[in-house]
Amino acid sequence: MKSSAETGKRAVDWPQVRVLYLRELRAALREKAIVINSILIPTFLYPFLLWVALTGIMFTAGQTDKVPSRLVVRSWPEARIKFQRALQNDKRFQWVDSDQPIAALEERVRLGQLDALVELLPATNTAAALPGNFAARITYSQSQERSAAARERILGQLDDFREKWVKRESRKLGLEAPALQGFTVSSRNVASTRQMGAFVLGLVAPIIFVVMVAVGTFYPAIDAIAGERERNTWETLMSSAASRVSIVTAKYLYVVTLGGLAGLLNLTVVLLTLKPVFAPLLAQAGKTIDCTIPLAALPVAVASSLLLAGFVAAGMMLLACFARTFKEGQAMISPFYLAVMVPVMFLQAPGLKFSIALAFIPVVNVTLVVREALSGVFHWPQMAISLAVSLAAVALLIRAAAYVLQFEDVVMGSYGGGFKRFFQQRVLKRPTEVKS
Amino acid sequence: MIAPVSVCGLSKVFFDEGRGEVRAVNDISFECRPGEIFGLLGANGAGKTTTLRMLSTVLKPSAGTATIMGHEVSADPEGVRRNLGFSSATTALYPRLTGRETLEFFARINGYPGPQVRQRVETLIERFGIGEYAEARVEKLSQGMKQKVSIARTVVHDPPVLIFDEPTVGLDVLNAIEMQKVIAGLRAEGKTILFSTHIMSEAEKLCDRIAIIHRGTIHACDTLANLRAATGRHYLEDIFVHFVEGASPAKKE
Repeated sequence: MKSSAETGKRAVDWPQVRVLYLRELRAALREKAIVINSILIPTFLYPFLLWVALTGIMFTAGQTDKVPSRLVVRSWPEARIKFQRALQNDKRFQWVDSDQPIAALEERVRLGQLDALVELLPATNTAAALPGNFAARITYSQSQERSAAARERILGQLDDFREKWVKRESRKLGLEAPALQGFTVSSRNVASTRQMGAFVLGLVAPIIFVVMVAVGTFYPAIDAIAGERERNTWETLMSSAASRVSIVTAKYLYVVTLGGLAGLLNLTVVLLTLKPVFAPLLAQAGKTIDCTIPLAALPVAVASSLLLAGFVAAGMMLLACFARTFKEGQAMISPFYLAVMVPVMFLQAPGLKFSIALAFIPVVNVTLVVREALSGVFHWPQMAISLAVSLAAVALLIRAAAYVLQFEDVVMGSYGGGFKRFFQQRVLKRPTEVKS
Repeated sequence: MIAPVSVCGLSKVFFDEGRGEVRAVNDISFECRPGEIFGLLGANGAGKTTTLRMLSTVLKPSAGTATIMGHEVSADPEGVRRNLGFSSATTALYPRLTGRETLEFFARINGYPGPQVRQRVETLIERFGIGEYAEARVEKLSQGMKQKVSIARTVVHDPPVLIFDEPTVGLDVLNAIEMQKVIAGLRAEGKTILFSTHIMSEAEKLCDRIAIIHRGTIHACDTLANLRAATGRHYLEDIFVHFVEGASPAKKE
């Protein structure tokens, strides 16, 4: 049975909403779980995780550099004894004497007991015409980090050896080495440091942005309804003079505020920390980045953050209407939480353009608006569609929530099921009243 | 003169998936007079809480009407709630607000005039003796302290009608006695109080009139003296048993 006519049919009393909204915020900012999830994690988790990852990569690389590669050398021609000595003098290699057959050595490489087996085999076909020529064969295991590193080191030594050999042979023929090379290859990166910054931002920021808005919305959405029921404050509020529509509006705005705040905090921190965090890694590749964003991106980012939070909050609160406890709320909201993340995976697709079609997909559209805005690109038609689609989705979800909250047992938290059951019982079948 | 609380043919039917249709409250009628404590006396599951929840507009009646200070519960729920203070075991306080913040919040949300809220809160803090812990968060307070803040919260917007659903449940003897004194004091101020309990001594001590409710039906409604005269029994416990076990016909006002 539907409850009193007040639900959804009376105008919002904005002074009441303000009082309710401020109470929600005040209480939330004193709740450890909400402060951690909506403020601290979006602010500190991203730079901390990246710093940990970067430090880990650099530490591992440093450790690998210090570890010598264990080599077994076979079939080494007498003519190339100098090359053998060069390898032996390289402290990055540790020579292992072994008279085991090749098959046994391969097995040792596979097991990680050896890093590589190097064989200088006789050259074949036309290559055999060159005196002293050979065919080098490196046996290694790509699944073993040390083995892969050993291969790289050996290849480096072989390249050096080849270069010197070519020079020697050129001189014998009265030629300079460049004449034998024929042509040279060089490449030039014309992307500005700012474009590089936008590229890196576009890779990192939108995904973390969506994740953080969802994380920032998750706890407040559950706390606003299921938390109240669990603490027995729901009925206190319901018996106050505030209208139901004012209560729901205030709660919705509160959840949107915290979700939007989480998104904005995260974007700000990403912008501030991306350069210092990524700079050492990019410097190794001889690249620099500039992470400044156009001013016009700021209002777009704020609006997008609130829009995304508005959508996520409406969806989560619709599901949380059925939860009687915080745990039930978590279980009911989690599938939606994960569903919000799924479209974000597509953002990593190479060459993804913000097309008109993508502007019709909630979450993806707002995320792409943010990604482009950070790069200083504004596709106004797509942005307008994204805004309209997102607002329509929010309106639809709020309408659904208003419908659900017309049922007394749902409002009072005595309905013994979730959204799916409700939909089957009350929407697809004949409505029945469940004990309050 | 309009009765502060008027209930006429009020019923509540739930649908329980296991038991089917459950008639929790069945066609009850009564009135509360200005400045009286009206007791709703019944065993657990008698329909007391459902009745009070309908009067506080938390639940909608399946049939019948009820008015609080002339506002009908279905047609004007907000008008009802502005004139009502409702307290029960399931109306807890926000744990993360202080006592003072709690009172200010409920004063404002219940429409108490804005400029006078601070003064009203100060008055109640002094009256209920909660000044020492008014700045402490509710979650840090003892049960007795919470109870005081809860009563102050119920009356903060100065409603003419107060509903207390089993207000002494879970309290120790001293706090229960304190609670009874507060309720008596509110009556002295002219408040109309609707009070539910299953504790006979409490009803005997506080109530001007008592309605005995059993299985959703009111079996008797009168002053204690008249109930004694009607049954020939002295103790309320015996009177209660007489009406409940004797299956006397409902006696309505």
